[in-house]
Amino acid sequence: MILKMKKEDLSAFLESAKEWGELWGPTRKGDKVAFEKVDALSQMDLKATRTIIPPKKFLYPPRFTMFDFDDGGYVERTGEVPNRILFGIHPCDTHGIQTMDKMFLEEYKDPYYAERREKTLLLGHSCIPDEKCMCSATDTEFIAEGFDLFFTDLKMFYLVWVGSSRGHDLVQMRPELFNRDIGKDDIINYTEYRSWKSSQFTSKVDFTGMPDIFELGYNSPVWDELAEKCLSCGQCTMVCPTCNCYNVVDEVELGTIDGTRDRFWDSCMFREYSVVAGGHNFRDRRADRLKLWYTHKLQAYIGEFGEPACVGCGRCVATCPVDINVVSVSKALKEQEVGK
Amino acid sequence: MSSPKVGFYGFTGCAGDQLMVLNCEDRLVDLFGATEILSFAMAKSDNHDGELDVAFVEGSISTEEQLEHLKDIRKRSKMLVAIGTCACWGGPQAMKLEEGGYEERYKKVYGNASIELSKAFEAQPVDAFVKVEMKIPGCPIDKTEFLSAVTKVVAGRHPYLYKFPVCTECKWKENPCILTEGKFCAGPLTKAGCGAVCPSHNIPCVGCWGPTDDLNVSAEYNLLREKGYDVDEIVKKIKKFGGAGVAKMVKELSAKKEAKK
Ligand code: SF4
Ligand code: SF4
Ligand code: SF4
Ligand code: SF4
Repeated sequence: MILKMKKEDLSAFLESAKEWGELWGPTRKGDKVAFEKVDALSQMDLKATRTIIPPKKFLYPPRFTMFDFDDGGYVERTGEVPNRILFGIHPCDTHGIQTMDKMFLEEYKDPYYAERREKTLLLGHSCIPDEKCMCSATDTEFIAEGFDLFFTDLKMFYLVWVGSSRGHDLVQMRPELFNRDIGKDDIINYTEYRSWKSSQFTSKVDFTGMPDIFELGYNSPVWDELAEKCLSCGQCTMVCPTCNCYNVVDEVELGTIDGTRDRFWDSCMFREYSVVAGGHNFRDRRADRLKLWYTHKLQAYIGEFGEPACVGCGRCVATCPVDINVVSVSKALKEQEVGK
Repeated sequence: MSSPKVGFYGFTGCAGDQLMVLNCEDRLVDLFGATEILSFAMAKSDNHDGELDVAFVEGSISTEEQLEHLKDIRKRSKMLVAIGTCACWGGPQAMKLEEGGYEERYKKVYGNASIELSKAFEAQPVDAFVKVEMKIPGCPIDKTEFLSAVTKVVAGRHPYLYKFPVCTECKWKENPCILTEGKFCAGPLTKAGCGAVCPSHNIPCVGCWGPTDDLNVSAEYNLLREKGYDVDEIVKKIKKFGGAGVAKMVKELSAKKEAKK
């Protein structure tokens, strides 16, 4: 279902929606754009292209306690998660959450992720690509599902996609703010918007054929050259909306066996990640770790799910200090040469 | 089960790590309750030698007398834990490791004055002389990281300390990367554990937690050169807290650069 809303009504709508839960949206402090808790629409920066960390931080926090234990057993730390409305999520990040859902909700359902997912409403918003955005190359520039509501800004008004019954319930909180008077001009407007957005991409990256190029370049010296530059800092993994690996540790109280079991973000870019019992390391070489990360994003995942694990958000481009990212790596593999 | 016997010892350093242990407030009582502390000169007066389950050693080793004492502690201990970056990697006093010239530096400071205390030498980390089972770095150590490790050590469990670099915690805190912006941040070379306090305040990491598990010194060096930093400045900053953990790598790097010239 697609509805129409006056732009000036958004603020009132979000105010009412806050009855369901906390309102979070993209805010700007200097260079830093991050999803923060806000009181009102006016505190958000809807023009910001990307937050440093994607919304995965809500569904799967960097470090959290799963349960408390003592000699009698364990008690899950569920029930502590507040209801949250995330407003302003872009198509790439919504696709990223769908990838996370595949990892954490399908074959083995992760109760901690499931709880947070259940208590989070995703209210998407259209965006203006910058030079680092490449969702047009990963086919994630528009989104048809996975959100509760999605707001497309058509200058004079919003087109609002209703993607779930929970999204519909939100609309029902202020039904008078929405209408279905969609006319000829609106359709033309929307069509123009789509081609305008598609024309805004300046990134020339092209991922077609990447699975074959990875296969062909499996033993390419390019991997060693990239490894010489890589700092193993792990930033790429932390900022990528589809990276989901974690480590688990117990913290215990002094003199007792009481404690907590905690989980935190890990990265296959770290040497420690692939050490197994007995001390053997399957990916001791930095080059092998880089190869794993990039083949996972642009080859192996396509083999399994028919689409890349990269949603084109551009965060690895924005953050890697030495310019290793999906663009530079695929270019290096195609041209068999590492740029500058 | 009798409580594990432990001892705290300080060598060349600022005693900041022992101070941090004393600063563990409410948890300190638990620590004293869960262990039998044979020796902790900064905390109590009736200290005695004896067999130890765990010895915690702070500071680098820089005199013959210290070395004798360290060897004695090692002999008496089932496990030796280095606490603080000086004990783990040598600390700032070990930043000239692998460069030679100790005698000249010594003369410059002390002239010809005769010092009778004990013969001094270039400061080195504890594991340059004796076996160290575990390192808890930091300048000073972080209470949470220390207590998390000690709790497990005294319970005979395996402690887990982050091995990855400061950057990981920096991203957990959602900071923009100041290295990418061109500042000299040593985060990628430095073990996490401090909570990335410096970059979280927009101040570059100077590396005070010491080297991380899998650092790529030459990548950081090349990047900083590209960003226009001076060779001496880079080397100095990397070696300041990296000590024995980076000295050889920096030396090899410099040799390679020389050969290229
Ligand atoms: S590719 Fe870049 S961001 Fe990722 S670990 Fe290497 S240096 Fe860090
Ligand atoms: S690989 Fe890079 S561009 Fe692709 S989703 Fe991850 S961070 Fe975004
Ligand atoms: S600011 Fe420093 S510590 Fe933070 S990610 Fe960048 S290099 Fe790492
Ligand atoms: S950020 Fe770096 S310099 Fe600052 S406390 Fe942590 S390790 Fe030390």
